Amino acid sequence: MGPFTYVRAVDPVEAVGVVSADPGAAFLAGGTTQLDLMKDGVLSPEKLVDITRLPLRGIARTGTTIRVGALTTMEELAADPTVAVRVPFVREALLAGASVQLRNMATIGGNLLQRARCRYFRDPSVAACNKRERGSGCAAIDGVQRMHAILGTSPHCVALHASDVAVPLIALDALVHTRGTDGTRTVPLTGFYLPPGDTPDVENVLRRGELITAVEIPLPAERTRTHYLKVRDRASYEFALTSAAVAVELDGTTITGARVALGGVGTVPWRAWDAEDVLRGATVGRDAFREAAEVTLAGARPLPGTAFKVELAKRTLIRALETVTGAP
Amino acid sequence: MKTREEALSRLGASVGVEFGVNGVRRRVGVEGRVTLLDWLRDELGLTGVKKGCDQGACGACTVLVDGKRVVACLMLVAQCDGREVTTVEGVAGVGEAGAVQDAFVRHDAFQCGYCTPGQIMSAIALIGEGRAGTREEIAEFMSGNLCRCGAYPRIRDAIVDAAGGEVG
Amino acid sequence: MTITAPRIGAALDRVEAPLKVTGAALYPNDVSYPGLAHAAPVRATIAAGRVTAIDTAEARAAEGVIAVVTALDAPRLRRGPVTLLGISPPAPLQDDRILHYGQYVAVVVADTAEQARHAASLVAVEYAEDVPMLDIGDPRAEVEDDPWGMDVDRGDLEAGLAEADVVIDETYATPDNTNNPLGLMSTVAVWHGDGSLTVHDATQWPHGVRMSLAETFGVPESRIRVLAPYVGGGFGAGLRAWQHVILAVLAARETGRPVKLVLTRPEMFTGVGYRPESIQRIRIGATRDGRLTALAHEAIAPVALEDDNFEAVSHTSARAYACPNVMTRDRQVRLNIPCPGSMRAPTEAQGNFALESAMDELAVDLGIDPLDLRLRNFAGTDPLTGLPWSSNALRECFARGAELFGWSRRTPEPGSMRDGHWRVGYGLAGASYPPYQVPCQARASLQHDGSAFVRSAATDIGTGTYTVMTQLAAELLGLDVARVRFDLGDTDMPYSPQAGGSGLTGALGNAVRSACRQLLQAFLDVVADDPESPLRGLTLDEVEAGGGGIHRAGDPGSGEAYTAILARHDLAELSADGRSTPPTPDTTAWAGAFGARFVEVRVDADLGVIRVARVVSVIDGGRVLNAKTATSQIVGGTVGGIGQALFEETVTDEGTGRIANATFGDYLIPVNADVPDMEVVFVGGPDTATPLGTKGVGEIGLVGIAAAVANAVHHATGRRLRSLPLTLDALL
Repeated sequence: MGPFTYVRAVDPVEAVGVVSADPGAAFLAGGTTQLDLMKDGVLSPEKLVDITRLPLRGIARTGTTIRVGALTTMEELAADPTVAVRVPFVREALLAGASVQLRNMATIGGNLLQRARCRYFRDPSVAACNKRERGSGCAAIDGVQRMHAILGTSPHCVALHASDVAVPLIALDALVHTRGTDGTRTVPLTGFYLPPGDTPDVENVLRRGELITAVEIPLPAERTRTHYLKVRDRASYEFALTSAAVAVELDGTTITGARVALGGVGTVPWRAWDAEDVLRGATVGRDAFREAAEVTLAGARPLPGTAFKVELAKRTLIRALETVTGAP
Repeated sequence: MKTREEALSRLGASVGVEFGVNGVRRRVGVEGRVTLLDWLRDELGLTGVKKGCDQGACGACTVLVDGKRVVACLMLVAQCDGREVTTVEGVAGVGEAGAVQDAFVRHDAFQCGYCTPGQIMSAIALIGEGRAGTREEIAEFMSGNLCRCGAYPRIRDAIVDAAGGEVG
Repeated sequence: MTITAPRIGAALDRVEAPLKVTGAALYPNDVSYPGLAHAAPVRATIAAGRVTAIDTAEARAAEGVIAVVTALDAPRLRRGPVTLLGISPPAPLQDDRILHYGQYVAVVVADTAEQARHAASLVAVEYAEDVPMLDIGDPRAEVEDDPWGMDVDRGDLEAGLAEADVVIDETYATPDNTNNPLGLMSTVAVWHGDGSLTVHDATQWPHGVRMSLAETFGVPESRIRVLAPYVGGGFGAGLRAWQHVILAVLAARETGRPVKLVLTRPEMFTGVGYRPESIQRIRIGATRDGRLTALAHEAIAPVALEDDNFEAVSHTSARAYACPNVMTRDRQVRLNIPCPGSMRAPTEAQGNFALESAMDELAVDLGIDPLDLRLRNFAGTDPLTGLPWSSNALRECFARGAELFGWSRRTPEPGSMRDGHWRVGYGLAGASYPPYQVPCQARASLQHDGSAFVRSAATDIGTGTYTVMTQLAAELLGLDVARVRFDLGDTDMPYSPQAGGSGLTGALGNAVRSACRQLLQAFLDVVADDPESPLRGLTLDEVEAGGGGIHRAGDPGSGEAYTAILARHDLAELSADGRSTPPTPDTTAWAGAFGARFVEVRVDADLGVIRVARVVSVIDGGRVLNAKTATSQIVGGTVGGIGQALFEETVTDEGTGRIANATFGDYLIPVNADVPDMEVVFVGGPDTATPLGTKGVGEIGLVGIAAAVANAVHHATGRRLRSLPLTLDALL
C-alpha cells in the first residue's frame, strides 16, 4: 500500500463532505474490499476516511420493514431474529458468503459496494481493464473466463458482481438510503447498480462522496417461503458459480407471488423479472420452473468459458424453486 | 473536517491509537497504512499471528477484536482505537482457550503448525459463537481457516473435544 | 539389539506441539534483527523477451528505500552447484533476458516491508517482447525424450496388445498445481563483520541452501549457517535454494543490513516450483478374464527453458502390475514458464491418476469388479527386476480396505446408487510410492545428568520428525522420551538430506539409530577395562539399553546407569556420530509404500456438484514410528489428493504467461467443509531393506485419491472424466 492520510470520521455529514470534496479520498468501512484492493495496487487513495465510528450500525424493525444501518456487519445481520424468521434467504445468503472472520468485518453497505473479483481487474500488471481505466480494454474477455458474468455483460466488461446477500435483497426490492452533499435520498436496489455498458468503471448511481447510511428490507407477507441456493466448486468459502434467491407465496399448488433473483451470473445482482411473471399464477412443478429458468437466461451472452453457466443457472433456479415449494 | 486525528495524520504521518492488546493498554502512533497484522508482528513481536496470504483469504492471521474473530491483515491499526485485540499469545493455557490448545495437541490437529494459531483463535471464537454443536457445523464455520497440511478432520476432533462433545 | 518396546510406534503427542499451539514456534519470517531491512522483488510481466530499460528513480526516491538492484546492474553471481537434487536454479538478475512471467528483474530494499513493497511497485521496466512458448504443443519448443534414462521396455508391447481381448486406449490430462504451503517462503539473511553469513530460510534442506549460497557468493560452507527449525509446510516448494533466497542474501550484502524477504502469495506461484501439467496416453490390453497382456504409458510434461525438474510421470506404471509387455515413455518440453518442481508425490500424483483411471475403465469394459481386476494382476515380485519385494502388503491393503469401506455394498451399474438428489459413487485405486533414501548423519550425546541430546540438520515440515526421532532415540538409548531432546534445522549440526521424497524418516532414522548404537559402543569402550563396571568387556550385541543405562541383554538388573559411568570416568558427556547409507538389497527389490484408497463421492444429479463423502485408506507404510503423526500424514496427503481431484488448477494466460489465479481466493484448495472424516489403517510389517524398517509416508497419502475420486464419479454418473480437476461443468 502506498502512504495515505487516515481520518477517523465522527460525523456522517462531515465524512461525506470530506470525500465529496476530495477526488483522492475514499471511505473505509470493513476494509475487506478497500484494503485488499489497495494492497493489490488497484486503488491508491491519498486519504482514507474511516467511517466505522459513525452511528450507522444496528438493526431496527419498523412496521413492515427492517432498517439495517450501513455499518452493521454481515454476521450481525445474519444473527437478527427477524431476518432469520421472516426472510431466511437473506440469512442463508449472508452465511454463504466469505468466512466468519470476513463477515465480522464486512459491513452491509460495503457488501453492496464490493468490487469485482475479476483477476484482470485486480492485477494492475494487466493493462487492459476498462473498470480500472476506461478505454483501456478488457483482458478478461479473452482471458480465463470461468468466473465471469453471462448476463448484463458488454463488449467492454464481463466482470461479475459477486455479492451473495445482494441477490435476495434485490429480490425483496430493498431500498438503499444514502447521504450526499445534497442531503439524503433513497434508491431502490433494483435501480442502484449500473450494468457496465461502455463505462464499466461506473458501477452504481452513487455520486462521489455519497455514503450508504442504511439498507431497508421490506418484509414479505408472513406466509412467504424463501430460499437461497448457492452452487460452487468448494463446499464453503467460495464465490458463487451460480446462485438463486427465491421467495414465493403459495395458494395450494398455485404460486400467487414470486420474487426471483440470480447471483453468479450477472454484472449486477440479477433480478429475474420475467421469471416472476412466468411463475405468478402458475402451478407448482417442473414445467413452470423450467420455463421461468429459460426466460431468465434467454438473454445470456456466455463466453466459451462461461457457457456452462447458462444451463447451471437454469438448474440452480429450478432446484431453488423446487426446494422452496416443496415440489417433488 | 479538522479532527485531532487529521492534524496528526498528514500524508504518511502518525495516527494516534489507544487500544488494548492481550490485556495491556497500548498508546501508540502509527502510520495510517500499517495493518494490524504487520504491527502485531513487527512492533510487538507477536509472531504467533501468521501471515499466509495478506489478502484476507487464508485465516492464518485470525485474532479477536472485542471478542470477535477477524483477519488482522485487512484491518488497520488505526481502526483499533478503543478496541481490545487478543492474539494466540494472549490466550495461552487460559481457561477454555487452554482447553482448545490442549485438544489440538492431543488430536494432532496440525502438522507444520503455521495455520495453527489462526485455527485456535478461530476455534475459540467458534465455541463462543455456539457453532461447535455438530461436526458439520464446525466444518462450515471453520472453513475460513485454510490448512494446507490437511489437518481438517483432526481440527474437528479437537474442537468437539474442547467443546465437551464426544469425538467420533 | 531389537526394537520392540512401546516407545516406537506409540501415538506420542508432537514434542514441539506446545510451541505451535501457543504461537511460540519461530518460523523463518518470524525472525528479526536489530536494523533489519526488508526486500521486495520486482517480477517480469512478460514471458519472453528482453529488458530494455529499468527506471528506478521513483522507487529510489520513495520513503525508506535503501537500495535497488536490477537485472541491468546486479553484481555477477555464480549459479549454485549440482546437488543430489540436480542442478541449482539459475542465479537471479544476471542478464537482460526474460524466460518466464514472474522472473525477478529487480529487488528493492527499504526500512520496512511496506515501504519495500510500495517502492517495488514504482520500478518501471520496459521490455522488448517475444512471442512466448507456453503451450505444451508449441512446435517451436525443444522436446527431450527419456530425460532421465528411465523409460522401460519389457517384453513385446505390440504382441501383448495383439493378444488382448480388450484394449483401453485413452488420454488423461492433469493441470499445473501449485504447492502453496501456508507459510510464505521467507529468507532472513545476515552478513556478519567477519564475513560469515547466517540465513534463516523456509527450506526443506538447510544443507542444500548452504551449498548453493557458498557457491553463489564464493563463501566457504563453514562460514555459512542456515537455520530452519520450523517451516510452514513446503510440499516440495522448499527443496531448492530458489532465486528469492539468493536475492535476500544479495540484498543484505549490498546494503550491509540484515534483510528479510517474504514472498507474497502471488509470488509463491512463480518462484518456488509447482507440479507441472501432464498429458498421458495409456494403453492397456487384457484378456477376457482380466489378465493384463500389455501396458503402455506415455507422458509428456513441461519444464523451464534453463532449469530442470525430475518428473518421470510414467515410470511407476512399469512396477505397478504383473504384466509381461510394458512400455513407459517420458518426454519433457521446454517452455517459457516458471520452473516446475516437486509437489507432494511428484510423478505419482499425475501418473497414478492416469493408470488407475485406465484400470477402472478396463474393469468396466470387462465387467470385472475393479478390486478383483487389481488383485488378479497383483505383482507378487518386482516386475522390473523379478526379485521378491522387500515387503509388500498391497493385497492386504485392498482386502482390509474393502471390508472397512463396505465395498461389497457397491452395485456395479453406474448411477445405480442414489440418495435423494445425490448420486452415490464408490471408487477405488491402488497406490504406491517408490523407496528413496540418501546418506544422512546424526550425532547423539549423553549428558552427565543422564539426558540425551540428538541432532541432525534435517527439517520437520510438519511430518513429525522432531517427535519420531525423539521416540526413536529414547528407545535406542533406554530413556524416557522426556529425557531426550532431538533438535534439527541448523547446518551447524551433522549433515542431513532434504525432507522430501518420503525419504527423510528412513535416512535420518537409520542415522539416529547408528548414532545411538555408536554412543552405546562409546560407553562400552569407556568401561571396557573398568573393573567396577558390570559391563566390562561386553560387546554391543551382548547388551541392551534401558532404564537410563545399559545392561546385559535380557537381564535388566545387571547393568549400570549412564550417569554412573560418566561420573566415575570424569566425563561431562559422551557423544557419538552415526550415519546411514541407502540400502542396497541384492536378493530383494526395495519396495516403498503401498496403499489402497476407497472413496465415496456424492454427485448432485442436476447441478453436478461433487463432494467427497468418505475415504478409507489402508497403507503399507512399513514400520510406523508414531501412529498419530503417521496417520496425520495420510490424512493430510488425502486432503492434498482431494484438492488435486476437485479444485486445483493453476491457470496461465495465453500470450503473457501470467498466472491468472495466483491467490488463495482464486486458486482453490480444500477447506474444512470439503474434507470428510476418514479412516486410516496401517498394515504390513517392517520393511526388510533397512534396519529401521520404515517406508516413509509423506506422499503415499496423496497417491490414488484423484483416480479413486474420478472412478467414483464414473460410478455415480456413468461419466468418465479424464482431465483434472473434476468440476461440475463437465457433468452438466
